[in-house]
Amino acid sequence: MAHQLKPAKGRKNLLLKLERQKYLILLVLPAFVLTLIFSYVPLAGWYIAFSDYQLGFSFFAGKWTGLEQFLIFFRETNDAYNIIRNTLAMNVMSLVGGLGIAFIFSLLIKEVGSGRAKKVIQIITFFPYFMSWVILYSVIYSLFSTSSGAINSFLVDAGVLKEGLNILGDKKYSWTLIVLVNIWNTLGYNSVIFLASISNVPTDLYEAASIDGAGRLQKAIYITIPYMVPTLLVLFIMNSGWILNSGLDQYLVFTNPTNRPTMEVFDMYIYRYGIKLMNYSYATAVGIIKSIVSIIILYGVNLLSKRVSSRSII
Amino acid sequence: MRKVHPFELLFDIFNAALMIAVVLIMAYPFLYVFLYSISDPSRLKAGLMLWPQKVTLNSYKVIFANPVIINGVYISVARSVIGTITMLMVTGAAAYAISKRHLIGVRFLRVFFLLTMYFSGGIIPAYLLIKSLGLTNNFLVYIIPSMVSVFNMILIRTYVESIPASLEESALMVGANELQIFVYLIVPMSTPVFAAVGLFSFVNQWNSFVDVQIYNFMKPDLYPLQYILYNYLMSQSQSVEQAKRSMNVSAISPQSLKTTITIITILPIFFIYPILQKYFVSGLMVGSIKE
Repeated sequence: MAHQLKPAKGRKNLLLKLERQKYLILLVLPAFVLTLIFSYVPLAGWYIAFSDYQLGFSFFAGKWTGLEQFLIFFRETNDAYNIIRNTLAMNVMSLVGGLGIAFIFSLLIKEVGSGRAKKVIQIITFFPYFMSWVILYSVIYSLFSTSSGAINSFLVDAGVLKEGLNILGDKKYSWTLIVLVNIWNTLGYNSVIFLASISNVPTDLYEAASIDGAGRLQKAIYITIPYMVPTLLVLFIMNSGWILNSGLDQYLVFTNPTNRPTMEVFDMYIYRYGIKLMNYSYATAVGIIKSIVSIIILYGVNLLSKRVSSRSII
Repeated sequence: MRKVHPFELLFDIFNAALMIAVVLIMAYPFLYVFLYSISDPSRLKAGLMLWPQKVTLNSYKVIFANPVIINGVYISVARSVIGTITMLMVTGAAAYAISKRHLIGVRFLRVFFLLTMYFSGGIIPAYLLIKSLGLTNNFLVYIIPSMVSVFNMILIRTYVESIPASLEESALMVGANELQIFVYLIVPMSTPVFAAVGLFSFVNQWNSFVDVQIYNFMKPDLYPLQYILYNYLMSQSQSVEQAKRSMNVSAISPQSLKTTITIITILPIFFIYPILQKYFVSGLMVGSIKE
C-alpha cells in the first residue's frame, strides 16, 4: 500500500507524498476552504468592534476607537444588566427545569406496564422537538393569543378569567412562557437520553432486588436513579457551557416591542443593533463580550466537570 | 401470582393518568391547529374543540391556488434537497479523508474542523462577510454556508472508520484511487449514516427561517414556506387587514389561513417523522459511543 512504503524524508519526499495523496487532498479541500471562509474569516471581523466601521469598506478601514463601544454597553444604559439577566434567567431555568422534569418523566415512563404504550408515549412526546420555532409559535398563538386563542377563550367562557391573559405580549409572562415552552419542546429529546441510560441497567440487578423483596419504589430509588445520575450530570455540564447561546430563531418569534424588557437576550440584542439598526461596531462589541463570558463559563464548567465526573467536555 | 399492593395500584392509576395528560399536552396543540384548518370558519366559535366543525378543504384550495405559497413550496423543497445533497457530498468527502491517519496534516485538519464547534465570529461579522461575498438576496446563501457540518463529519467519520480496512486495501491493489474508493465503496457501505445525517439536514433546512430574515428578506421570490408563515404571523399581530391584502386572499379568515399554512409546513416532517425518530435514537447512540 502506498502509505506503508518507507517513511520519506525531505522536501522531495513531501512532494512525492502530496502527489500520492492528491485524491484524498482533493476530497478534503472543499470542506477546508469553506470552513476557512465561513468560520475563520469572520474572526477578523472582530476588529470592527475596536474601530468605526463603515458598510462597504474593508474590515480594517475604520479609525481605531479602542474600547469605546464596549464601554457604551456597560455605561450608557441599563441594557447590559437587562440582557445578561434575561439570558441567564431564561436559559438556566430552562436547563434545570427541562432536565429535571425529563428525569422524573423517564422514571415514570419506565413504570408503564405495556411496551407498546411506552413507545407511543415516546413517539408523541418527541414530536415538537422537530418543529421549527415558527410552527411552534403559530401553534402556541392559536391557543394563547389574547382575543382568539382557544385556551384563553375557553377560560373566559368558563368564567375563570375576566379577559384573556396576554401571555405572548405582556412582559411579566416572558420568563414563564419561555421556560414552559422549552420544557415542552425538549421533554421528548431529553427523555430519550435518560431512557437510554435506564436501558443500560443490567436486568439481573432488578431480579436480585426482587428476590430480596424490594418493591418498585425501592428498585427505582436504589437501582434506576443511581444509574441515571451520571447522565444527568453530563447533560447538565455539557449544556451549561452554551448557556449564553439562546438561538435566534426562538427569540425572533417570541420577542416583540411590548415584552422586550424581559424577553430580549444577547443574540436578539446583537441582531437588533447590528442587522436592524446597522450599528455594526457596537453589535460586534456586544458579540465579543458574549463570547468572552461564554468562554469563562465553559472553562469554569469544565473545571467543575473534571472534579465531579473526571471527564473533560472540551 | 404476587398480590398487587393497593399502593402500587393507586400509583399505576395515577401514572396512567399523568401519561395521558402529557400526551395530550404534546399532541393537542397540533391537533387543534389541524382541526381548525379543516373546519368551516363561519361555524367556528373561539374555544377548544375535539372534532372539526363542518369539514371543508376550502382553505387548502385557496392556499394552493396562491402563487406566493406555490413559490414558497418550490423554494423550501429546493433548499432542503439541494442543501442536503451538497452537504452530504462536501462533508462526507472530508469525513472520509480525515479518517485516514496517513493523510498529510490530518491532526491539524481534525483540530481545524473541531474548533469551529466551540467558537464563532458571531452574527455580525458573518453577516458582513456574506454580504461582501454577494450572497445576500441570493438562493446560494441557503446552500453554501451549510455545506460543511462538523458534527455530521464526526458522525460519518466514526462510521467510516468501522468499515474493515481490508476492503479498501484490496481495492487499492487492483488500482483504484481514493476518489473511486470513496464513491464506489465507502458511500454505498455507509448508507445508514448518510441516510440518518441526510434526514437531519433535510429537517434543518426545511425548518430554517433565520437566514431568510437576515440575508434574503428583500427578495420575496426566495421566501421558503417557513418564512412566509413567519412573516404572516408577525404582520398579523400588527394589522390583520394589511397581512390579508399582502397575501391577496380575502375568501378565508386569517386564522384559517394561518392554521392551513402551518399544517402544510408541518406535513413533510410529519411523514418522515417515524423514520426520523428511529434514526435519532440510533444517532444519539453513535454520538455517545464517540464521547
